[in-house]
Amino acid sequence: MDISISSPLTGTAIGLAQVPDPVFAGSMVGPGAAVDPERAPQVAVAPIAGRLVKLKPHAFVVQSEDGRGVLVHLGIDTVNLDGEGFELIAVEGDVLHAGQPIVTWNPALVEAGGLSPVSPVIALDAESAAIDAIVNGAVAAGDELFHWR
Amino acid sequence: MPERTVTVACKVGLHARPAAVFVKKAKELPVPVTVAKDGGRPVNAKSMLAVMSLDVRGGERVTLAAADGEGAAAAVDELAELLETDLDG
Repeated sequence: MDISISSPLTGTAIGLAQVPDPVFAGSMVGPGAAVDPERAPQVAVAPIAGRLVKLKPHAFVVQSEDGRGVLVHLGIDTVNLDGEGFELIAVEGDVLHAGQPIVTWNPALVEAGGLSPVSPVIALDAESAAIDAIVNGAVAAGDELFHWR
Repeated sequence: MPERTVTVACKVGLHARPAAVFVKKAKELPVPVTVAKDGGRPVNAKSMLAVMSLDVRGGERVTLAAADGEGAAAAVDELAELLETDLDG
């Protein structure tokens, strides 16, 4: 089944290759896309419908009913912020609809702290060939970002 | 069934980058391999979703286990060494 992955953020959709982290840029975590977020406080939303199987302040994984997991990583190396500047809205284990709010953060603050707020959106355990229709350019949270066959 | 319990050296645990390195290595191994937290349910070490959901923190102990087969003991040793290395260092 084809599922549509929505952008969790408002900003500019860019290719994973442009992510300033070789592990994400090289699709080692998985194929997908990235969003360079608007530099203003915003809410990261669920990219697909499913269960919030993992929630950290700086990253979360939503798993669809058919078992596919999508990782959203808010910024690069943001694990080192220890949750500072991230406010959780959803709770791990929640069943979400696509577009439901998960965490509030401020990409401008992340950037001011010397880190990149560029946020990879990854199809976990997917083959690169299973991903297509990757959007480039301006996106709003909830807009389609790519397809996962 | 070869098994080994090790302490995870990465301070931040098996988050995105170290998890990717770990799963990539696991996928190269010739036998099925699982990873479990102390007393927890073993999950597929070759799945990013499974490993990231396991949420292993730095300093935690995990048990690696491989299905019997050629290269099983070596597979467990290779992954054990990887976890005992600070992948973010």
